[in-house]
Amino acid sequence: MSLPPAKVPTRRAIMDRLVEAAKEDPSFVVLDSDIGYSTYSYLFGDAFPDRYFNLGIAELGTMAAAAGLAADGRTVFVCGYGVFLTMRALEAVRSFVCYPHLNVKILSSHAGVTAAIDGVTHQATEDLAFMSTLPNMTVLAPCDSSSARAAFDLARNTPGPVYVRLMRDPLKEVYAPETTFRVGGSHTPRRGKDVTIACLGDMVIQAIEASELLAAEGISAEVLDLYSLKPWDEAGLAESLDRTGALLAAENHQRRNGLGYELAAWCMRNGRSVPFSQAGLADTFAESGAYGKTLEKFGMDAAALARAARELVSRK
Amino acid sequence: MTTSNARSLDERAAFLEMKAREVRKAIVEMVHSAQSGHCGGSLSAADFVTALYFDLMDIDPAEPRKPGRDRFVLSKGHACPVWYAALALRGYFPAEELSTLRRNDSRLQGHPVATYLPGIDATSGSLGLGFGQALGMALDARLSGRKNTVYAVLGDGELNEGVVWETAAQAAKYRLDNLVAVVDRNNLQNDGRADVIMPMEPIDKKFEAFNWRVLEMDGHDMRQVLSTLEKARERSGRPTCVIARTIKGKGVSFMEDKREWHGKPPSDEERRRACEEIEGRTP
Ligand SMILES: Cc1ncc(C[n+]2csc(CCOP(=O)(O)OP(=O)(O)O)c2C)c(N)n1
Ligand SMILES: [Mg+2]
Repeated sequence: MSLPPAKVPTRRAIMDRLVEAAKEDPSFVVLDSDIGYSTYSYLFGDAFPDRYFNLGIAELGTMAAAAGLAADGRTVFVCGYGVFLTMRALEAVRSFVCYPHLNVKILSSHAGVTAAIDGVTHQATEDLAFMSTLPNMTVLAPCDSSSARAAFDLARNTPGPVYVRLMRDPLKEVYAPETTFRVGGSHTPRRGKDVTIACLGDMVIQAIEASELLAAEGISAEVLDLYSLKPWDEAGLAESLDRTGALLAAENHQRRNGLGYELAAWCMRNGRSVPFSQAGLADTFAESGAYGKTLEKFGMDAAALARAARELVSRK
Repeated sequence: MTTSNARSLDERAAFLEMKAREVRKAIVEMVHSAQSGHCGGSLSAADFVTALYFDLMDIDPAEPRKPGRDRFVLSKGHACPVWYAALALRGYFPAEELSTLRRNDSRLQGHPVATYLPGIDATSGSLGLGFGQALGMALDARLSGRKNTVYAVLGDGELNEGVVWETAAQAAKYRLDNLVAVVDRNNLQNDGRADVIMPMEPIDKKFEAFNWRVLEMDGHDMRQVLSTLEKARERSGRPTCVIARTIKGKGVSFMEDKREWHGKPPSDEERRRACEEIEGRTP
């Protein structure tokens, strides 16, 4: 039942879809800040040089320019590394993109420790907190090629600002190419009855592997992929918890102010007192290293998720 | 520290050229071992970083945090292999540790982290913001009445970041003549030619317009590197920018002036050829 390996990372899959779409839609433009060979936005730049603006290593000014380009309704895709787009450019995203509700779509690579090898300065481990806190922002976090391609169309077709969280390395394929996705939707790639592992991005893959480890010992874990973090599928979670009655939130991100905190607050608001725990960075910076080893060291690999799920089941 | 001043410029340059070869070899081997990292911008900076660490700077590896030491900030932090190599060969930590670059639990992080390694005072890797830290160190030296010099190494692509010019204006306002910015002018950045991705010339006139003193050098001519950087540290009432004309990937012919070698690790075969060339075993 193991997942097939992905040939390309999500940062590449979304860009292939963008280039396809650009052939039919001449209206949108793409900005990059001298990282086009890494975001693969150069593919668009080579095909459509008139609609591609490489504004140099200048993320803040680039985001302000995106707001200007979008001021009359044009759709603008801004490509870069998550750390720089969500931190150096944060004020421009908040006050000049989100506040006026402009069609600026942020395609943000190197999510979490998928950029492990480069070290902390290149790991976007607080981006979901920043982006999901901003009013008017839609936040998507695909886990594979199909969901990344779909994220492009969701970003283009959803009015206003959209943040898409992408990964550095090719991981696994989870969904068939014809799978449909929607803003505010979720998928349940594994059904279960003992515990729900709510997750997004690369954690979907770790959660599926964890569910297989757990199955071997008779624990039936459900994997709930909340690929749309904002808005997110509250009804989907409610149904899942009706089945399982225990919740593990897994994110390649700080545990604070990301998926886990969002779901915990929802549980409180809705009187759902289920055993709950989180996997993610525990108020710490990560480090350089291999992706798999780094996940393991910081408790975000399949084995760690399985341990956490087992513990939740024992608390029921 | 610089007892070397008694020696002739030629002798000093010859010694540094030999050291720079060791530094270059360590860069290639380290990035090969990690199979990740930035050779190009490390090699372009290798000669002037070697000159600073093995001749010009007032530093003591036995006492890395000696209060009056000169400071070095690698604002273009991705080039840390050159810094790690210089620090290890200068005796700050064992050279065997270089092969742990970018591995879990290593002190040699993908981008430099202050306090992880002796000799590293400023965290960098996010371009544009090492320079401001260097400015802060220069202000701190002045406040504390210390006479040391602060050196900051910037990439030419890094000059695209607007914050670089905030720092430039601030340094001129406070006449920080203890601050030396060395711009590694290799005319390449991530996506291509620096002049094409974001034309920044005339760089000298820009710094001059910000009230900096500007010096230029061939960043691979060790005698020029020595004499220019010696001049740069003389107090002039203004901060000094040294534009180092360099070749990205310098010293390894197949890496020289090639965009692809910005952030690509060498294969086993490429590592072998590179080291042979650096050691002068091939013509
Ligand atoms: C703020 C920021 N944006 C983007 C990057 C990604 N990046 C790393 S190196 C680089 C190009 C740097 O070019 P340059 O400054 O000329 O360095 P060199 O040629 O000396 O390697 C880029 C865009 C970064 N590290 N920091
Ligand atoms: Mg350069």
